[in-house]
Parts: sequence; C-alpha cells; structure tokens
Amino acid sequence: MKHYLDLIKISARQHRRQSRMTRLCIVLAVFLVTVIFGMADMEMRAQLMQAKQSDGSWHAAFVIDEEQAALLEVRPEISAVARYGTLNYHLRDGYRIEGTETGVCGFDMEFQEMIPDAKIMEGTFPKNADETAINENIRDRLGIQIGDTVDMTVPQGDTRTYRVTGIAKNTALTAELDAFCIFLNMDGFSALHSEEADAARELLYFVEFRQFCNIRRAIAEISQQFALSPQQVRQNAKVLMLMFQSGDPYMLQLYLVAAVLAVLVVIAGIFMITASMNSNVAQRTEFFGLMRCLGATGKQVARFVRREALRWCKTSIPAGVLAGTVVVWGLCGMLRCLSPGLFEGLPMFGISWLGITAGVFVGFVTVIMAAKSPAKRAAKVSPLTAVSGNAGTVQAMRRAANTRLFKVDTALGIHHALGSRKNFLLVTGSFAFSIVLFLAFSTAIDFMGHAITPLRPSAPDINLYVENGSNQIPFDTVEKIREIPEVKRAFGRCYAEFMLPAEERNILVISYDRQQFQWAEESLLEGSIQDAADGKGLLAVFSEENLYATGDDILISADGKEQEIPIAGIMGSAPYHSLAPNTNSDTDMLICSEELFEELTGERNYAVLDIQLYREATDAQVLEIRQTVEQACETGLVFSDRRIKNQNAKGASYSMSVFLYGFLAVIALIGFFNMINNIAMSVSARTKEYGAMRAIGMSRKQLFRMVAGEAAAYALFGVAFGCAAGLPLNRLLFRSLVTSRWGDAWSVPGRELLVILAVMLSSVCLAVIGPTRQIRRMTIVDTISRE
Amino acid sequence: MELLKVENLCKTYGTGEARVEALKKVSFSMQRGEFAAVVGASGSGKSTLLNCIGGLDNADGGKVLLGGRDLFAMEDTERTVFRRQNIGFIFQSFHLIPELNVEQNIIFPLLLDYKKPDRNRVDEMLDVLGLTGRRRHLPGQLSGGQQQRVAIGRALITHPTLVLADEPTGNLDSQSSRDVMDLLCRASRHYQQTVLMITHNMNLTASADRVFQVADGELKELGGAAQ
Repeated sequence: MKHYLDLIKISARQHRRQSRMTRLCIVLAVFLVTVIFGMADMEMRAQLMQAKQSDGSWHAAFVIDEEQAALLEVRPEISAVARYGTLNYHLRDGYRIEGTETGVCGFDMEFQEMIPDAKIMEGTFPKNADETAINENIRDRLGIQIGDTVDMTVPQGDTRTYRVTGIAKNTALTAELDAFCIFLNMDGFSALHSEEADAARELLYFVEFRQFCNIRRAIAEISQQFALSPQQVRQNAKVLMLMFQSGDPYMLQLYLVAAVLAVLVVIAGIFMITASMNSNVAQRTEFFGLMRCLGATGKQVARFVRREALRWCKTSIPAGVLAGTVVVWGLCGMLRCLSPGLFEGLPMFGISWLGITAGVFVGFVTVIMAAKSPAKRAAKVSPLTAVSGNAGTVQAMRRAANTRLFKVDTALGIHHALGSRKNFLLVTGSFAFSIVLFLAFSTAIDFMGHAITPLRPSAPDINLYVENGSNQIPFDTVEKIREIPEVKRAFGRCYAEFMLPAEERNILVISYDRQQFQWAEESLLEGSIQDAADGKGLLAVFSEENLYATGDDILISADGKEQEIPIAGIMGSAPYHSLAPNTNSDTDMLICSEELFEELTGERNYAVLDIQLYREATDAQVLEIRQTVEQACETGLVFSDRRIKNQNAKGASYSMSVFLYGFLAVIALIGFFNMINNIAMSVSARTKEYGAMRAIGMSRKQLFRMVAGEAAAYALFGVAFGCAAGLPLNRLLFRSLVTSRWGDAWSVPGRELLVILAVMLSSVCLAVIGPTRQIRRMTIVDTISRE
Repeated sequence: MELLKVENLCKTYGTGEARVEALKKVSFSMQRGEFAAVVGASGSGKSTLLNCIGGLDNADGGKVLLGGRDLFAMEDTERTVFRRQNIGFIFQSFHLIPELNVEQNIIFPLLLDYKKPDRNRVDEMLDVLGLTGRRRHLPGQLSGGQQQRVAIGRALITHPTLVLADEPTGNLDSQSSRDVMDLLCRASRHYQQTVLMITHNMNLTASADRVFQVADGELKELGGAAQ
C-alpha cells in the first residue's frame, strides 16, 4: 500500500457484499437507460427500414419543369434526383394490355434506389424508349417472359409494342388490385406522356438530400426559389419523421413527447444511483469517522468516496451496457422471427451507439454527481463519531417513532422509511419514477392502437369474388382449396338480396360459416352469436337507419314465399363489410348461417371466397388457387392478393408492439428490482440494530412485520407520488399523442395502474422475504457483531 | 432458591487448525437475587458464556435451565418470548433503538408483547434511573452514561428474573460506571433479580456476591467478593 487511496482496493475486498448492492443499482440504472435508448434506436431503425421499403427512401418530390430541375440538381444539399411519372394510375384511362387496364410508370434508373418497389428483380431496366419492364401480374397471367414483346393499346387507339427487358415485383397495391403495370425509362414515358394533355399526369422530381442536411429548411428554400405551391411539394412524411426532420406540428409534438420520456428515463437512472450511493455512505459513517480520527482531512475522505464510486463504475457500467445490449439483441431477434421478410435487414447483434452512449453517460455522470453529496457528508463526519459508538443512523434521527398509532414493530418499520428525509425522498422518488415512467410510456400503447391498425385475425391473404355479385363459386371448390397444405383457412360467403314486404325495401343477407361467426363475436353488441350460427336467427349489422332489436321478428320475402325470422343479435360492424361485392351502403346488412341461407335461397355456392395462407405458400400455389377458382366459375372473378399489404401491417404492428411492450416490461422490471434492492440495502444497513432488537426479544415474525412496514411505507408513498405525478403526465401525453389527433377523451388508465401496482406489490413481498430470511439464517450474536 | 443452572455447556468455533473451544463443559448455578461477576482476559470465552446463557447463541452441548426450563429445548419463537419476559440484557455499546426516545426504549420489551405499560411503573423507573427530564430525548441526544442507564431501564422493565450484563461500564467514565453498578446492585438486592455481569475491571467485582473467572473456556469460581 503506497497511497491512502490504495485502501479503496483493500476495503472493496473486505466490503464486497456491502458494495454489491450499490454496484447492482448502477448496473440496473445503466441497463435501464441502455435498453430504453437502445430499443428506441433499434425501433427507429426498424421503422425507418420498413418505411423505406414501403414508402421509399426519397425525402421530397417537386412538381417542376426541366429548367427548374436543372437548377435543383446543382444544389449542394441534394445527393440524388430522379424523375418519375405515371399514367393510368386509377386504371380507367384506356391503356390496356390484352384488354386489361395497365398502369404506366416512367422513371430514371436512379429512382429504383429511392423506391424499392420500383426495383427490377429479374432482367434489366429498359434502356431504350421501346423497351419496358413488366410486373409479376403480367408475367404470371399472360405468360410473358424477358425478351418477349408486349402490345399496349393507348386511349388514342394506337398500339405500342415494347420489348420486355425485366420483371418487377408486385407492390402491395398492384397485388391487391390485381393490376397490370409496366415500367418505362423516361424516353419511353415521355413519348407516351407528350400525347397526354391532362395536367394531372404530372412529372415529379424525387429528391434525396445529403446526410446531416436540414431537410426542412432545404425544402422551404426550394419551394421559395421556384415559387412552388404546397400542392407541388410532396414529402416522405414517415421517413422524415424517423430522421427527426419533420416540420409537421404533430410530429414536433411527438418529438417533444419522446424528449420528455427520454428525460424521465435519465432521471429515473439518476434517482436509482443516488439513492443507493447515499445509503451506502450512510452505512459506513463509522468507517469514515475512523479515517478522520486517524488524520484524514475532509477533502481526502471526499476524494476517497469519489474514487471508490469510479471504481464501481469500472465494472458496473460495462455490465449494465452489456446486459442492456443483450436485451436489445433479444428484441431484435424476436422481431426478425415474427416478421422475417420485413426485418431481415435489422441486425441481430446490432450495436446501438445511442443506447450505449446514453447508458455510459448516465452511469458515469450520475455516479460522479451522486458521489458528490455522500462525499461531502462523509467528509463532515466528526472523528468522535467513530469512537463514541453512536455512528450511523443514531445521529440521523430527528424524532421518535410513533408507537401510539401502530404496533411497535410496524411503527419502527415506518420510521425506518420516513426517518431520514433525504433517503425517503430518494427511495420513494425512484419508485414513483418507475410508476411515472410506466404511466408515461403506456400512452404510447394508446397511440399505437390508433396509429397502427393491427391485422385482424379474420383478414384474408387472398380475396376472390364474383364480379356481378352472384353466388357462383362452388362450395366443393372451397373444400378442394382447403385441402391444399399451404392453405390455413378458406371460407366463403353467399350474398342475397331479400325484400321486406312490410317496409317495401331490400335487405342484404350474407352467410357466415362457424369460423366467421367466431370472429364476429367481438363485434357483437347484443344477443347471441351462437343462435345465429345454429341457424336460429339473423344478426343485424348496426346502422343509424335500421332499428332492429334482438328478439324482433322480420318478415322477408324469398322466392315469392314470405318467412318470419327472428333477430338473434346486433353487431357493431361486420368484419367483411368492405369486402362485399356490389353492396350498396344504404342497404341493411344481415348475417345468417350457411344452413339458413340455403334454406332461404336454395343456394350453397359462394359469391366471395377468402383464403388465409401459411407463411410458406408460394406465388405458384397462389396462382394455382386462382386458376382452380377461375375454372370453376362461369363469369368474371375479381382477384385480390393482400399478402404484401398484410405483411406490412403485421410488421408495423409487431415492431411497435415488441418495442413498446418491451419498454414497459423493462420499466416494470426496473421498478421491481429497485424496490427489492432498496429494501435489501436498508435491511443490510440496520442489521446490527435488528440484532439488538432480536436480543431484547423481538421475534422473527415481528422482525418481518417491521421490514414489511418499511417496504409498505416506501411503496405507499412511492405509489402516491407516482400516481400524483404520473396521472397528470399520462393525461398530458395522451392529449398530445391521441386526443389532438383522434379526439379520444382521456380516462384514468386503470389497467396500466393495476399492472404497475401489482408489480410494485409483488416486489414489496419479495423485498421483505429475502432480507428477513437472510437475517433469520444468522444467529443473533452474528447479527449484533456484524460490521 | 436456584434460578439458573448451567450444565456442561460447550461451544466451539471454527474447524481444523482454526478450531477454538470457547467453552469447555462449563457448569454452575445461581440463586435468585444473587449478583455474580465473571472476569477473564480478552477472548477467554466470557461473552460466549453470556450469549449462550441468554439464548442469543446456540451451544454445541450442555443445558441452560432458567427457572427449571431448558432454553435450548425451546423453539425459536418460544425462546424469544421467554427471553424478553425473563431475561434482561445490558450491552457494552448500549444497543438502544435510535428511532425510539428514552421512554419508548425502556418500554420496548413490553411493546413487543403488545402490552400497555404501567404508567406508574415507567415513571418510577425513569425516576430511579434519573432520566425523568429526558424521557422524550432520543439516544443520539444522550451522553454515554445516560444511554447505559436507559439500557438498564429496558433490561429491568419486565421484572426479569435474570439480568445479563456484558461489560456494562466498558464505555463509561468512572462516575457513570459507579451509577450503573449502583443500579445493578439495587436491582439485585431490592427486586431479588439475579444479575450475571461480565467485566474486565476487578474493582467492580467488589459489589458482587460471587466472582467467576473464565480462562481458556473453563469456568472457575473465585469465591465471594467479601472473601
């Protein structure tokens, strides 16, 4: 030992157990900050990845002329510009291939880098004006391959012939609409475009700005330079938001909310570390007194405490960062498993520098700051303290415990919690912060519920319906499709219009099978789904115009026969309302079982067929399904492939859910461990006192009650403070995130409160059991003489 | 009338080469109202003896009978309750509860029994201890002598039949030491309480009826102080 600070090493070896809890607290705080920031970082990356995949990586697009475009290209903040134009976007202008309306897209080759949907997956991008790339729908349905030619008639009646150079993947929209689409280079497109006089068929200049450029300002400057109206400027809102470049007031509000949450996380970390260090120094007042007694100056003691704290940082901060990073990896892995297609670009073992920096910063700075106050306190310890036998908590007490209101054991426990104002505030503060954090972050769940519509379990991957709405899809075809191994479910619906003779108006009756009735359960407002499924009545879909009530009988006229059928229940909405062919929104919709439908109409075939597929289903199998149904039908079928759209919806919902629920779980877990650690520290600091109490005659049960009283006091006040601060914050954030956008009124988040209170309660129980069990294992003599 | 009987009490610490026999088949007995002092060098086993007699520590062998009841045959809770009702402890470093004031510290064993203390008895105790004016003070506001008087009050409030004092004057000045010894003697004489006191100070054995010496874990009676 060459220096008095070398004592730190020796002391650390001797008091490893004592400092373990403080180290654990630093680890937990660093872990919390690393996980939250790391997860936020990864979530941003995942969302950005998804946004770039679905919406493209472009930042802005301008409707400008060539002259302006030339000026735009030379601006220093712009990294790429690509032209893009479209014809027949709504598939009704008369551009047809083999009689099918075809969308025409023209763009520069660079555009493919900005919009992944425009990428040519097979072959090459067309180089000449008479070359084109086609989408998968054209290839699959017309059997056209690379090198073949394709003829397209234009509205003017001419036919254009193009040589196919490449195949592009279907987009969510083209797959859903079963649309044909060709991709031309700008020469080819201009040739077609020049024939169009319609101003709506405009040319857009898509732009990507350089990194670290203030995009908001650049867009404003460009708009001003070319005197562009807001309609001439488009922004990739989602991507800009995720790059923190959005100027949208709602987005700015979102950033503010994110900043508030980030500050809360940092404060929670600071609270945890400060509370534990404060408690640690308080336990060792005698030791610091002894140092003073032996000649150490106040400054030297303060330096000792600071250096000791830094020593803890050396192991605790890397441990916290590592644990946090592992959790972030776990969540990324989960996301990749849930939605492999969308998140395969998300690194499994990605490093979040934001999370690590935030964790290290909070850990290091907080420890240094937190060490300041205990160091001062330690420096103030009088040398007499070490030798008087009054070291530690004896001097900290300002008033006696209240033994009149509570039994002595409980009173002492409460007093242990409330005795030192600073410690009480720090410990309850850190509990309260866990609750505040939980309540604050829970508003993000409400936000998610509104912003991202999760995919309903009833959502089909493939939707086929007969164009004229007649029931022509044979039921045995559906049976056949069900037998395909990649088909998870196939379910059809029959449609029929009936006359209500009493009211002289029509109603639309739709048949559901058992599975569809099961899904409809959650939309049921009143009545019984089971009765309808058993064919004992109809389910009416609520609308302001119809006034059906459960139990009413309605008289319908079918095939000249009149029949009275009871209403078995009322549904708020029908899951497949939007998928109904040729339905008039004013017609009342009623649902019945397939058996009842057959009884009423004599028909068993379907008008609509929905198919849900397993993940491994291939495009060829989808084509096979389509051909099977088409062959079985006499008239035209409308085919809609919703797989890409469903996958996008699933991906957005999964990633948000994984991260948001991950946040909440981490916060709850931190609150849980924090409570356990704090109680363990408090008990450890008073072991000697407990030993004396046991010697005097306190039973183990009474000891348990005392520790429980302390934990309950912390928990009670922590919950009260947490709710007092958390609920108004929850309300404020809810209003900013949800009310301002969707108008929902705020209500007390009862479920969230219950969850966090249950977590706190269970942590109190565990916090009490552990230390008391530990004391129980020690003899009274060991407890009294424990250093 | 025999109150305390210790039979073949053994206690060993450590194993192998570090094995120390702190008590080697110690046997003795004490009558009600007797005041005995135990002397011995540091590490001789005095405190171990006291801790075993008080049931704070478990012995490896032998018996401790108090009022005919074997302490080591009792379950932990039973022994705890028995201890708080029948044995008073006085420690060298007082071990007062810092969160309780003087009065609360004294009545603490009664509070643990969830009993309402007899006000007159508490007042009388405070008066005897000379702490009436300090009843609302916290331990941190008292001198060492006053704290030890509080500890004595706490040890006597339940009218225990046995008072065990481990170096009760070890941390006190001479005047406070005299006061404490005086209080212990009065307890023994007036309330017929058996007192077993450990001390380093041979001068303090003058007040004791009997003096024991512990050396290398063995107990030897040196005789009465008068002798």
